Amino acid sequence: MEALRQAFDFSDFPRTDLCVAVAVAVFLFVFPALPHSSFAMATMIQFLMFSVYGMGWNTIGGYGGQVDLGKAQYVGIGAYTTAVMQIRWDLPFWVSLPIGMSLAVGWSFIIGYPLFRLRGHYFAIATIATSLILKDVFESWSFIGGARGLKIPLRAEMPDFWFLQFREDYYYYYVILAFFFVGLIYLNWFRQSRIGMQLRCIKDNEEMARSLGIDSHWAKIKAYAVATAFVAAVGSFHACYNFNIEPEDVMSLDLSVLIALMAMLGGAGSLWGPIIGAAILVPMKNYLGAWFGAKAGLIGLDLIIYSTIIMAIAAFEPRGIWGIVTRIRQSRSD
Amino acid sequence: MDAFLLQMAKAITAGLLMGLVFGLVALGLTIIFGVMDIVNFAHGEFLMIGMYAGLLTATVFGLDPLFGLPVAAVVGFALGIACYYGLVRFLLRGPMVAQLFGTFGLMLFLRNVALLIMGADPQSVHSGLLVGKSFVLGPGIVIEVTKLAAGGLSLLAFGFMWWVMKRTKIGKALTATALDAQAARYMGIPTERMNSLAWGLGGATVGMAGALLLNFWPVEPNVGLLFTMIAFATVALGGFGSISGAAVAGLIVGLLINIPSMWDAFSMLIGGDRLQVGLLHQFKYSFVYAAYFLIMVFRPRGLFGWKH
Amino acid sequence: MARGYLMAALAVFAAFSLCTNAIAVDEIKIGVLYPLTGGAAAEGKELRDGAELAVEIANNVKTELDMAMAKNSGIKSLGGAKIKLIIQDHQGNPQLGADLAKKLIQDDKVVGLMGAYHSAVTKTVAAVAERYGVPMINESSTSPALTKEGLKWFWRTTPHDGTFTNDLFLFLQGLTQGKVRGVKPFDKKELLPIVSACEKTEWGSNVDAAIKEIGKPSGLEPQISLLYAAKAPDLSSEGQSLLSVKPATMLFAGYGADAILMIKTLKSLKAKPKLIWGQNAGFESPEFVSALGEDTEGILTRTVFSPRVGEVKKVSAQVNNLYKTKTGRDLSGASARAFTATQAWVHILEKAGSTKPQDLQKAANEVKIDADELIVPWQGIKFTTTGPDLGQNVLGTGMIGQYQKGKDGKMILEIVYPFELATADMIFPIKGW
Repeated sequence: MEALRQAFDFSDFPRTDLCVAVAVAVFLFVFPALPHSSFAMATMIQFLMFSVYGMGWNTIGGYGGQVDLGKAQYVGIGAYTTAVMQIRWDLPFWVSLPIGMSLAVGWSFIIGYPLFRLRGHYFAIATIATSLILKDVFESWSFIGGARGLKIPLRAEMPDFWFLQFREDYYYYYVILAFFFVGLIYLNWFRQSRIGMQLRCIKDNEEMARSLGIDSHWAKIKAYAVATAFVAAVGSFHACYNFNIEPEDVMSLDLSVLIALMAMLGGAGSLWGPIIGAAILVPMKNYLGAWFGAKAGLIGLDLIIYSTIIMAIAAFEPRGIWGIVTRIRQSRSD
Repeated sequence: MDAFLLQMAKAITAGLLMGLVFGLVALGLTIIFGVMDIVNFAHGEFLMIGMYAGLLTATVFGLDPLFGLPVAAVVGFALGIACYYGLVRFLLRGPMVAQLFGTFGLMLFLRNVALLIMGADPQSVHSGLLVGKSFVLGPGIVIEVTKLAAGGLSLLAFGFMWWVMKRTKIGKALTATALDAQAARYMGIPTERMNSLAWGLGGATVGMAGALLLNFWPVEPNVGLLFTMIAFATVALGGFGSISGAAVAGLIVGLLINIPSMWDAFSMLIGGDRLQVGLLHQFKYSFVYAAYFLIMVFRPRGLFGWKH
Repeated sequence: MARGYLMAALAVFAAFSLCTNAIAVDEIKIGVLYPLTGGAAAEGKELRDGAELAVEIANNVKTELDMAMAKNSGIKSLGGAKIKLIIQDHQGNPQLGADLAKKLIQDDKVVGLMGAYHSAVTKTVAAVAERYGVPMINESSTSPALTKEGLKWFWRTTPHDGTFTNDLFLFLQGLTQGKVRGVKPFDKKELLPIVSACEKTEWGSNVDAAIKEIGKPSGLEPQISLLYAAKAPDLSSEGQSLLSVKPATMLFAGYGADAILMIKTLKSLKAKPKLIWGQNAGFESPEFVSALGEDTEGILTRTVFSPRVGEVKKVSAQVNNLYKTKTGRDLSGASARAFTATQAWVHILEKAGSTKPQDLQKAANEVKIDADELIVPWQGIKFTTTGPDLGQNVLGTGMIGQYQKGKDGKMILEIVYPFELATADMIFPIKGW
């Protein structure tokens, strides 16, 4: 009960934060009713997916300060569990979702134990390495389709809530929106919880944390498992939303880096950071691509603009956009 | 037995030659890391720009691609310094994540600028002293001249860097900056300039590597992608900042990716199923990552690393 | 006075709206998804140029061309409406491809889709088209799985890898029986051992499976078959393994730069095969020749087009000339296929006389395009409407070309299969390195 109260307790945030958050939440709820293009809808779904990815990444990468660049392996585990169970045994999404999450968490414990002996850059590169090894395994494992991937057959009747197959995108929107709010509330509890406190302590000074009796190795592994559960859940959703998955698509290094990038750019280690990062990067990438992406003679321009903005934010405020907001606030209060 | 030995010798030679190339590519990354603790995601793009510099020198002036080496070194040096003053300097104020996303932006930027200017087609040089040359050693061990030259160049570059770091004042200043930037500043070492010098040197070595690789590899805007991950694994395996570590780790990586052809040799010996080798090839980079992972777990600072 | 202007304006407006009503539609939008950045950007450019040339011909009268779509300006049955391509870049990313497909269908209101080169992207885009009930024509994704799904809104003009691989083994058997121009019959054993190496994503692993399956009955299955990572810097260990059995025949499937690297590696390892065959993509792209130059001599590739087709088909030569004046290059397999798929769209629209999805679906299932119309040497275009290969063009055929040195010293793709279309004597065995 106490935990539940804590999860809904946002009282330590400034009032402006909460006003903006409520306004955004209301906007997200009514968005499908507003006039919008379907590209905007697809972009919003992407935004919500990457927000949840980012929230997950934030537990270990932001609060824990361990830069994880291997999250795509868990997207793959989640997506493949759902797809395989649906194709082979006709099991609905809501059954395969918790199974996929458990498998991913199990795997995260297995590799997390040795992984967290490493620090800093060594850790970051080791996460990439494990992710790429798992991708190689998936690509040659014929039971799950190998490199050819899996295609989920369309069901005769739509909408199908059990199997998450809809003709209109707004159904998917509300499903992922529910994930988004559940994730946000869980994270609000997480940051105030014992493990959240421990992680921040470890991030600031690991030696001191240990001298205070915190089992830093175990704390990191637990946070890593939480991150994994988030990512695997969205992976399962991805499989149903896209109908088609391949290792090259759901387990690529690009995806791992993108997940980390959004959270880092928004502001690692703050509750709103990953959401802000995704809210800026996802629409920017999609719309720049749609506007300039295919102009003859200017191929590549959209990604040049996109990367320039990333570099500019990194150079201006290395703590990300949330860092800029904090900086403005500080200068106001001074 | 003879067939086994020959195949084994072929596999090992190929592995060592490729290892020399990996070592050369990784050298620039390790210099930058050694001095300033920053992982450069755009490393492969520096390589790509070195290759384009070599290509343009060769095609515009009609020269042997080898003349591209000094050009690419200069271009790489300038690029390294420009990146330092334009971007990296600002990233250093923030935590490690900032360096990652900043240099990731740089990677996308350089790749797409190259796409905009040079187009997407893979291009390569057709004639030159080293292009497409190889010779046969003994009973059939093929040595590719480009890779051998890469090996020679990397030995030279490693030797030069070693000399710079150990025997010159600049090198001592670089090492001091690497060990403790703040203390170095108190001693009157211009750390800012040392950092930019590290980026310049890193850029120059990888630019030269690019111009040399051009003799064998076709260049296109995405070519850096092929080498970046391997370069990361190589540097980390050797230990960040260790120059000799990068060289040794390069050779190890080269041998690891030749495990499938070594299996070929064994299957000649024991008459195993040849088709299995197909499966091994699919995992050849996984061997590298797995070896990295295992070595790291038991020796968390890399083979020759001296700092975390 | 002001009221007078207003009245006049209204009158003009009314007149215009009447006119447009009479014509019904004046512009038909077709959404096109190609990879214009990323690893396959070079192929994306080829595809785009091919499709744009076809639209140019369809929208204007070009009497000199012997093609139905060149005779009219726009789509005749739709009152001369012009076709407009809305091209988007999917960067080789399936998720982005699906999002852009939704944009094209719902926001830009395209009547149909075309694309997307990568089989993986085509799959997700086809799933979107199926969900929204919008027709999609695919020109260049050759994964057999695409037409095995029973999709009702998906048609493919190009032959798929099953057909192409079948062609390969028909060709190899014909080669031993002396059916190939310039080669005497010989014992099948001379083609053994066979080895194959395919890149290990969706497409390559399908080709690998097809080679093993189709080669088996004829006793021509590969002794070693590898899958390799295309995005990797080194192929020398693959080369070593392949050469360890001293292969006579080498079969490949590679996307782009990896095909070039593979040939360079084989050359540096001094390989001496009698025959090298590539499954299109990387092996028939213009940069394969420009990057490798004379090292390509004797290499075979399956394709659907070669400028040499112009010698047997007048219309191919005419279109190739138009393409060359426009882009400075000859048509390649990719651009010819994009051209042909766009042409199929024109015929479907012409037949439907409507832009309603149901009418288009019906028209696509019924359309029959004659061989004379096409620039590719197929027997025509006719899609299957039943059976396991739903929506596949049954009249498409593959070709096998061999790079040979032309009179001007440039490398050109001579046709060696189908046997009756051969434009030159085949070089066999090739000299190797």
